[in-house]
Amino acid sequence: MNTWKILAGLVLAVALIVWPFVIENRFLIHIATMVCMYALLALSMNLMLRIGQLSLAHGALMGIGAYTSALVMMSLGFPFVVGFLLSGVVGGLVSLIIGPILLRIRGVYFVLLTFAFGEIVILTFIEWVDVFGGVNGIFGVPRAQIFGYVIKDRSLSYLMALAMAAGGFFLLRALYRSEFGAIMETLEDDEELARSLGVNAMAYRLAVFVLSGAMAGFAGGFYASYFTFVSPGAFNFWTAVNLIVINVLGGIASPVGVILGALILVPLPELFRDAVQYQVLFYGLALIVFLKFMPDGLYGLIGKMRGKRDDR
Amino acid sequence: MQLLIQILMNGLMMGLVYIMMALGFTLIFGIMRIVNFAHGEFYMLGAMAVMILFSTLGINYFVAVLLAALLVAVIGMVIERLLLRQFVGRELNGMIMTLAIAITLKAGATIIFGPQEMSIPRPVSGVTEIAGILIPNDRMLVGAIAIAILVLFYFFLRYARAGLAMRAVAQDWEAAALQGIRPQRIYLLSFGIGCALAGLAGALMAPIYTVSPFIGDVPMLKAFIVVILGGLGSLPGAVVGGLLLGVVEAGVATFINTTVATMISFALVVVILLFRPAGLMGQSR
Repeated sequence: MNTWKILAGLVLAVALIVWPFVIENRFLIHIATMVCMYALLALSMNLMLRIGQLSLAHGALMGIGAYTSALVMMSLGFPFVVGFLLSGVVGGLVSLIIGPILLRIRGVYFVLLTFAFGEIVILTFIEWVDVFGGVNGIFGVPRAQIFGYVIKDRSLSYLMALAMAAGGFFLLRALYRSEFGAIMETLEDDEELARSLGVNAMAYRLAVFVLSGAMAGFAGGFYASYFTFVSPGAFNFWTAVNLIVINVLGGIASPVGVILGALILVPLPELFRDAVQYQVLFYGLALIVFLKFMPDGLYGLIGKMRGKRDDR
Repeated sequence: MQLLIQILMNGLMMGLVYIMMALGFTLIFGIMRIVNFAHGEFYMLGAMAVMILFSTLGINYFVAVLLAALLVAVIGMVIERLLLRQFVGRELNGMIMTLAIAITLKAGATIIFGPQEMSIPRPVSGVTEIAGILIPNDRMLVGAIAIAILVLFYFFLRYARAGLAMRAVAQDWEAAALQGIRPQRIYLLSFGIGCALAGLAGALMAPIYTVSPFIGDVPMLKAFIVVILGGLGSLPGAVVGGLLLGVVEAGVATFINTTVATMISFALVVVILLFRPAGLMGQSR
């Protein structure tokens, strides 16, 4: 049984890596790249949802990563590798700085606080024109470059995004299965209990927030070099809302659900390309239906069906 | 001096609209513990309704405004009954649900009315000069109606049975239920009233600004700021916060610019949430 699972995993991995070189369809490869980028972002949101602290600042954290990478390369002249690494480091660093202040607050107030923080970040991008280029943002961000080789080819960009998403996925899976994950769960269910057992709840929450911010920052760094431009509009609070939609639809209980959500929701804008509003309407309606009838998401649904089958 | 009074006057006019938005927002949170991210959408629906009733069907403006508010209240109550009731008290999921409702309403309105900005004729025009201060007549009308509504709302909460019941539920729904108040009814009523206030604000402002599916975003942000300033769930806080934001904004916008005005208000929101989450007025309910 287990060998079959490993074999299936290997086949899947090879298929995921090889397909863009077999099917040379630029459009499909672009969509797959977006799925991977959003999967990473949605996974970073999943970390926050796991500790019951919904963050509306994740669009802004991604934006901080994107602007960091763009500016480090363009204004300071560093190569891509440095810019990209710093996008994640700064994303995590900002979280580390604001975390101790924001994370003291729980529930609704935390959501509102992260919302206000996100707005301030976006308004700073808009208002500080000299550095951030105002509403138009920054154009001509250098493409990704590794060992002097410029990644112009879409399939290579896809592989990079795939590596990031896979990294995020396995990191979270390992994390949730470890003792750290168990403590995270108690933080959401019963913080008093965790604290009475000697867990430094604040330190754990901060660690989760920093990891989450770093993941969002990396996604931003990737975004900047993939699209070769950054603008404030791409990082507003609707980005965070989209990540929540992906999580709720896929199911927040498992990283598999998050990937499932990204896989289903991200290609939609491309399908509805001529009528963006129908796509938005679909997002809204889907979110309503899932919240009302399937709060555990698709993953929960699959789990239930499996459970029923096993009962028989 | 003249300029100062003019700024104060402009701020007051905007403040009254903010208060109408914020009162509904804070009422819904105080009673249902739901942060209504769809509040701006009800403002938009009010404006859309008045556009159809007044400018397309030619119904008298005041009747149209009233009908628009009623219509929005009904839509709000249907939404409360069908989608929100199960989330009363479940803050996080309730918040995601109102986000979903906001997305859906906005996209629906864009599909039906198109994304363009539409203007509707002004019911009154001209400018009145009082002691050297200029007040546009249409703004004055909005201000007068807003004040009338706020007074009415105050007396409703203070003396009407339903108003007292609402306050009782906001304070302690279990104790209220023991007194024979049915919280379910109060949820429906307060969500309806909150939406009606937002719809009314939208209906009143529609002739002054343009109408589009996206006009609810800014009033929603303002309501959000006002409510945090005054304390989430506090009605007097919403009034004070609304006036404060209106006047400060009018001042900063006159002397610096509007982006900075917005940044300052959000920075204020962060500071207040961190140090005085109950708001400037000091009580959370």
